[in-house]
Amino acid sequence: MRSWLKMLKELTIRPKVKQIRKSPAYSFDEELNKPLSGQTVKEILAESSDIVFREFFLQGKERIPCMLVVVDGMVDKNQLDQFILKPLLVDLAGHPEVAQLTLANVLDKTLQSILPGLELKKVAKMGEAIDAILSGDAVIFFGESKEALVFGARGWANRGVAEPITESIVKGPREGFSETLRINTSLLRRKIKHPSLRIISLKLGDLTNTDLVVTYIEKIASPDIVSEVFRRLGTIKMDSMLGNSYIEEMIEDDPYSPFPQISFTERPDVLAGKLLEGKVGIIVDGTPIVLIVPAILTQFLCVNEDYYQRAMVAVLARFIRYLGAFIALLAPSIYIAVTTFHQEIIPTDLLISISATRQGVPLTALQEALAMLVALEILQEAGLRLPKPIGSTIGIVGALVIGDAAVKAGLISPLMVIIIGLTAVSSYAIPTFDLGLAVRLIRFPFMILAGILGFFGISVGLYILLIHLLRLRSFGVPYLSPIAPLRLRALLQDTIVRAPWWALKRRPQLIDLKETPAGRKGKG
Amino acid sequence: MEKISPHQFMTLGAGVLMGGTFLLLASGVTVASGRDGWMTVLPGFTMGIPYALMVFSLLEQYPRKNLLQISEILFGKWIGKIMGLIYILITGYYGGLLLAILGDIFERSIMPFTPLWVFYLGGLVLAIYLVGSGIEVFARFSEVVFPVVVIALILSVALAIPRIEQGELLPILEEGITPLFFGVLKVMPFAMEYILFLAGVATFLPTEKQEFGQLRTEVWRTTFLVGVLNMLVVIIQILVFGPEETVRLANGILVLGKMVELSRTVAGVESLFMGVWLGAMVIKMSAFLFMVLWGIEAVFNLKGLKWNFIVGAVFLGIALGFTRGPYMLREVSVTESYLMFPFASLWIPILWGVARWKKGAGV
Repeated sequence: MRSWLKMLKELTIRPKVKQIRKSPAYSFDEELNKPLSGQTVKEILAESSDIVFREFFLQGKERIPCMLVVVDGMVDKNQLDQFILKPLLVDLAGHPEVAQLTLANVLDKTLQSILPGLELKKVAKMGEAIDAILSGDAVIFFGESKEALVFGARGWANRGVAEPITESIVKGPREGFSETLRINTSLLRRKIKHPSLRIISLKLGDLTNTDLVVTYIEKIASPDIVSEVFRRLGTIKMDSMLGNSYIEEMIEDDPYSPFPQISFTERPDVLAGKLLEGKVGIIVDGTPIVLIVPAILTQFLCVNEDYYQRAMVAVLARFIRYLGAFIALLAPSIYIAVTTFHQEIIPTDLLISISATRQGVPLTALQEALAMLVALEILQEAGLRLPKPIGSTIGIVGALVIGDAAVKAGLISPLMVIIIGLTAVSSYAIPTFDLGLAVRLIRFPFMILAGILGFFGISVGLYILLIHLLRLRSFGVPYLSPIAPLRLRALLQDTIVRAPWWALKRRPQLIDLKETPAGRKGKG
Repeated sequence: MEKISPHQFMTLGAGVLMGGTFLLLASGVTVASGRDGWMTVLPGFTMGIPYALMVFSLLEQYPRKNLLQISEILFGKWIGKIMGLIYILITGYYGGLLLAILGDIFERSIMPFTPLWVFYLGGLVLAIYLVGSGIEVFARFSEVVFPVVVIALILSVALAIPRIEQGELLPILEEGITPLFFGVLKVMPFAMEYILFLAGVATFLPTEKQEFGQLRTEVWRTTFLVGVLNMLVVIIQILVFGPEETVRLANGILVLGKMVELSRTVAGVESLFMGVWLGAMVIKMSAFLFMVLWGIEAVFNLKGLKWNFIVGAVFLGIALGFTRGPYMLREVSVTESYLMFPFASLWIPILWGVARWKKGAGV
C-alpha cells in the first residue's frame, strides 16, 4: 500500500529539483576525470563506428605523432581537409618555424601560426575534449600531451531556413527556425543588431548534452524573470533532453493547468518581437520551436500577421479570433442549456422548428453533443498524423458521409450537426495549437455542467475557469494580465485591439516589472 | 504578504458594496419612502464615507493591522477578542443568509425544479475556491466581474425603458422629507457591510502616504458609482412597476430581466443576466467568508484551508435553515438593520475616537 502511495505521489507531485530518469548504475564521471590523452579518448570512444581516428606524424625538429578525432557526419569535411589536414600534412614543410617544432611546443605553434581558422582553442580536460568531439568539433591530440586542440568545424546536414508550417502568414517574412542552434541564433541576431541582445549558452541532459541558449534583451527584460528562468533551468536534472517540450513541462508554473503557460514560435521575427517586449527566449538545439516566457492568455490569440496588416484589419481579425474561441468553448454547452432548461430564450418559431428536427432523436441534447464531439475528436486525431491527401479524405468522409448518414438515420438532429460544425470551424480560428487543445479539453466539462444545471452550471463553470486563470502565473506574471490586473495602456495598445504603429509610442507593458516574483500563484 | 493596488481596491470595494444590493434595495427603500425612495439611495450609501475615512485614519496610525487587531491594541486583549467574536458571528450569519438569497433567486427565477442545495453548493464552491486563492486573486476577480455587473445593470435598465409609465415618480416629495430619513436608514446597513469588509481588508492595503490619498479618492468613487447605479435600478423599477408593485416584488430586477423583449426575437434573457448576478453574489459571499476567516485568525489565531471549509459548512447550514421566501428576507433585513448597522456604526467611531485620544494624550 505504501509503495502504491509513493508511486502515486511520484506521478502526481512535481519535485522541486526535477531529477528525471537519472540512471544511478552508470556514470561517466570516472572516465571524464581521467587525465587527458589521445589514447584514453580512443579507449573511451573506440567502440563507436561513427568516430573517426586519423593518426599521422608531423615532421619538425622531431617526429611528432598526432591524432585527429571527429564524428563522421558532424564535421564539415571540406573545412577539415582545407584548414587542418592540408596545413599540417602538405603546407607544413614550407612553414618557416617547422625546424623548431617539438612535442613540447607543437600545440602552441599550431594554434598561433600553423592552422588558420576562427574557432581554435586549447582544452585540458577530458570532459571538454569528449564534449567537443561529440558536438561535431575536430580535436587534435599531439603525442602524450596533456592538452588538445579543438577546431570548430561543425557541419552536418540540415534542412536550412524554410517557411514554418505552423505559422504561415500571407504578408510578412517567410523564414523560420531550423533544427540547428547556431542557424537559429544567427537568424535572431540578424533581426536585433544591438549589443544588449544576450545569447547565453547552457547544456542540459546528462547523456544527450543538449545545447540550448537563453536569450533576452538586457534592460528590457525584467532581471527577476531572467534570473527565474536560469533558476528553473538549473533545477532540471535529466538524462535526456530531446526537445523543447521536455523543458516546457519542467519549468511551467502549474503543471495541472490545461492552459499553456509558455508560448512558442518557429519564426525569428516573432521571437525578436517578444524579446523587444521584455520576454525571454529559450532556443534548444535539435528543434525549430523556440520557447518564450512569460506567457499571458491574450497573446495566444494574437498572430504575427497582426503586425504586418493595417491596424483596422488586425483589430477585426482579433475580434473574430476572440469570437471563435468563445464559440469553440461554449456553443455546444449553450445549445444544450437552452434546449434542455431555458427554452424561453428561443423565439417561438425557432423553438417549433428545433423541436420538429429533434423529433424521433433517441438521445438527449447532452448525449447527442457528447457523441458528436467525441466523433469529431477521433476524426481530428486520425486525420492529424495521416499523409495530407488521406487526411483530408478522412475529414470529408467523417464530416459529410458519417454526419449525413447519422442525421438520416435519425440518430442526431441536423441542428446539432450545425452546432458541432460551427464549433469545429471556430476551433480553427484559435491561432495557437496549445490553446486550441485547452479549449477542446475544457469544452467537455462545460457540456456536462450545461446538461445537468443549464445556465447556472455554465455560469459556475465560467467562474471556476476565471478563478483558475486569475490564479495562474507565468514566471511571476499574472496570466490574465493586462485585463486583471488592469493595465489600460497595454490593453488598448496591443491586446484585444492592435493600435496603429504610430500610436505605439511606448513599449506595451504586458509584463509589470513591479509584479511579485514567480511561483507565488496569487499569494504574496 | 499579499497586497492590492488602489485600483483593485476600488473594484473590489465596489463589488463588495454592490453585491446583491440591486436585488433587494428597491423594495426596501420604497417601503420606507414610497415613490421618493430613489432619492434615499445615494445619500444612504454616502453615509459610509466618514466611516471609511475613520478606517483609513486608523490604518495610518497602525499600518498593516486590521481593525480587529487594532481593537486588541486599544481596548486590551479581552474586549478586543469580544469585539472580534461579535464580528465573526455577525459576518458569519450574514454570509449564510447571502447563500440563502442566492439559492432563492435562482429557484424563483429560472430553475424552479432544481433543489436549493445545488445552488448553495455551486455558490459555496466558488466562494471557497476564490477565498482559498487569496486576496490578490479576489481583487482581480472583482476587476473582471464588477465591470460586467455594471454593464448588465445598465442593459437591464436600458432595455426596460420602453416599459416606463410616465408620471410614476410624481408628485415628488408628496409626504415631505421625513420618509426620506427612513429610506436612508434602510440603505445605510449596505454601506456598513462595506465598512466591515474594509475593517478586515485593511491589512492588505498600501501604506504609503501618497497611496492613502488615492485610497480615499477610490472610496468616494466607489460609493458614488454604486450609489448612482443602485439609484438607477430603483428609479426604473418605480417607473416600470409603480411604487406599490415595487414594494410587492422582492427582486424586481429579475422581473425586469424577464420582461426584456427585442423585436420578438430576443426574449426572456433573465437566465443570461442571472449568470452575471451570480458573479456579484459570489463577490459578496466571498467577502463575508474572508471577514469570518480574518476574524477567526485575529481572535483565535487559527488559519488554514480547513477553516475555509468549516466556515463554508456553517454558511451552508445557515442557508439550509432559512429556505426561502419572506421569512428569509425578513431575517436578512433584521440582520442588516439591527446587528450589522449598530455594530459597525458604534465600533468604528469608538475605536477611532480612542485612537485619536491616545495619540493626543501620548499613551
